[in-house]
Amino acid sequence: MTRQKRSHHKLKRAVAPYLYLSPSLLIIGLLMLLPMATVIAYSFQNSAVLRRDPTFAGLKHYQAIFDDPVFWASLWHTLYFTCMSVIFHMTIGMVFALMLNSDRINPTLRNILRVLYILPWLFTAVIIAVIWRLLLEPNGVVNSILMQIGIIGSKIEWFSSPETALHAVTFANIWAGYPLFMVSLLAGLQGIPKDFYEAADIDGAKAYQKLIFITIPQLMPIIISISLLDFIWTMQVFPLIWITTGGGPIYSTEVLSTYTYKLAFSSYNLSQASASAVVILLISLGLTLFYIRYQKAR
Amino acid sequence: MAEVVLENICKTYGNNFRAIDQLNLSVEDGEFLILVGPSGCGKSTALRMIAGLEDITSGSLRIGGTDVVDMPPKDRDIAMVFQSYALYPHMTVFENIAFSMRLAGKPKAERKKRVDEIAKTLQLTSLLDSKPANLSGGQRQRVAMGRAMVREPAAFLMDEPLSNLDAKLRVQMRAEITRLQKQLGVTTIYVTHDQTEAMTMGDRVAVLKGGVLQQVDTPKRLYESPVNAFVAGFIGSPSMNLFEATLTGGELMPGAFAIRLQDAAFVRRPGLKSYAGRKVVFGIRPEDLYDSSLESGRKYQTIPARVTSIEELGSEHIVHLNIDAVRVDSGDPDAVQDFGLTSNAVARFEPDSTVRSGSEIRLALDDTKLHFFDPETHLAI
Repeated sequence: MTRQKRSHHKLKRAVAPYLYLSPSLLIIGLLMLLPMATVIAYSFQNSAVLRRDPTFAGLKHYQAIFDDPVFWASLWHTLYFTCMSVIFHMTIGMVFALMLNSDRINPTLRNILRVLYILPWLFTAVIIAVIWRLLLEPNGVVNSILMQIGIIGSKIEWFSSPETALHAVTFANIWAGYPLFMVSLLAGLQGIPKDFYEAADIDGAKAYQKLIFITIPQLMPIIISISLLDFIWTMQVFPLIWITTGGGPIYSTEVLSTYTYKLAFSSYNLSQASASAVVILLISLGLTLFYIRYQKAR
Repeated sequence: MAEVVLENICKTYGNNFRAIDQLNLSVEDGEFLILVGPSGCGKSTALRMIAGLEDITSGSLRIGGTDVVDMPPKDRDIAMVFQSYALYPHMTVFENIAFSMRLAGKPKAERKKRVDEIAKTLQLTSLLDSKPANLSGGQRQRVAMGRAMVREPAAFLMDEPLSNLDAKLRVQMRAEITRLQKQLGVTTIYVTHDQTEAMTMGDRVAVLKGGVLQQVDTPKRLYESPVNAFVAGFIGSPSMNLFEATLTGGELMPGAFAIRLQDAAFVRRPGLKSYAGRKVVFGIRPEDLYDSSLESGRKYQTIPARVTSIEELGSEHIVHLNIDAVRVDSGDPDAVQDFGLTSNAVARFEPDSTVRSGSEIRLALDDTKLHFFDPETHLAI
């Protein structure tokens, strides 16, 4: 082989992987990177989209949203909504997974429970929102049951009262999201060798000690991965809140996604909406980098 | 340390499958007993019942004089080494060994002292901070031993602990476990399907088949005086050759040839005379068959045979043969592998034997080493 032919062959080998990747890179570029870059650009412009020749605004829009108390309320609501959702998704998912994995429950009942527990996962966000709006109506089933068993004295307007609205949407989101944890943890539980528990039985471990010393450490990689993903996804939840409360009453359920949407499509302040979207992007990016680093470390 | 006594132990599963049938076994204080048998014979089930990991359907089980049938595993004062070692991957070697002490709420200083002692005995001191994933098979095996030793139990239960190791390491660990057991003097029940382990490690060996105890004896007596054809076939590698023959006028007639029996054979087994004129099963071990061209000095009887294949192992030749006789199945599933499809006998020749595959030879046999079994019951005569 001549030197020229050899270098041609080398070049072909070096370029080939990028050629294979190019279709997906092109699609990602067009559908994700380009819109992302555009939004970032909008956040630094005055009257973005609305005017043909927008002027450079510097950090003005960021300053504006940071000065807006509703933005900080939205950020706090987002954090509350996300943290509570992730914690309860994990706790409920773990309890149900342990129940479904237990030999003490009759196999037929276990199969029925498996279907029942997974049901919330089958519904789209819109259906979940409608179901919970109906259930939590002042004249709905929940109020009626709670009054009958004497927990509450009068009807509560769960989604319309500023005191309860955020808890109510968080509750609906917890109900909708635990099956992901349950299914993932159940798969993890089924992969833990039985010998571990038998060895612990011989060593004298009680049920809670087996949970602490064997089950949870064995499930830890799944718990961390799913929790991080759930955190990222829950931070961006929009339809459930939009349909149940629309961010109200009096901003009490306003989260970053509804705040941004309103800036863009109610106030038509697309530049400030872009600045808010960039803040969401940065928070998500931080969590994603943390997730990728964790995956690499494993 | 304690005596382990099993009396009429039965195990029946929900589908009426009887895994263990009337098992009676007494393991003396400090004894090393091996439970051996082919796959599915119930040996692991028996061990797990002693450990308390399986319920006992009926019968009594005493450890150190205490009836433990209704006791949970932790109260039985036993420690178990699992086939998979069951080491916790998220814990270090130290934490794995100290786990039972931690559960028992023993102070840190005491845990450290005890684990250090054990690590020294098992040569694990430099590995105490490692995780199981970073250890070799042999090291993991030693950690599993350490975890059992730390409890200072009345009895050790071991479930095929060497089956995950390669052949060379297995030989090494065999000696190591035997040495440790003698040093500690703890009653040990050891389950294996490998009869080499059974023969080399145990003070006594209990052979199980289909959930029924066949024989409990010293390895030497199992080898020399098996109580039935199954034990005869199972103990020894390659398996004993078993054939059907008619006993006529002091001669065995398996086929077109005859094997003359000495008077001593009838003196040692008075019952053999009653088989005159009837069918009988006779057995001879591969090591009691010789290449006649090398054995002219010993004046053994010879029979015709055709060599089907030879495995040259360096120290010996395993020679697969076809002889004019009907082979009898001992009931040991592994025996089929020893014989293969084209041969019905196997012999162990010295390495200077020059027999070749496909050749017709005269096979010398030591008739004083013949074993006899009833053709119906397969019980030794």
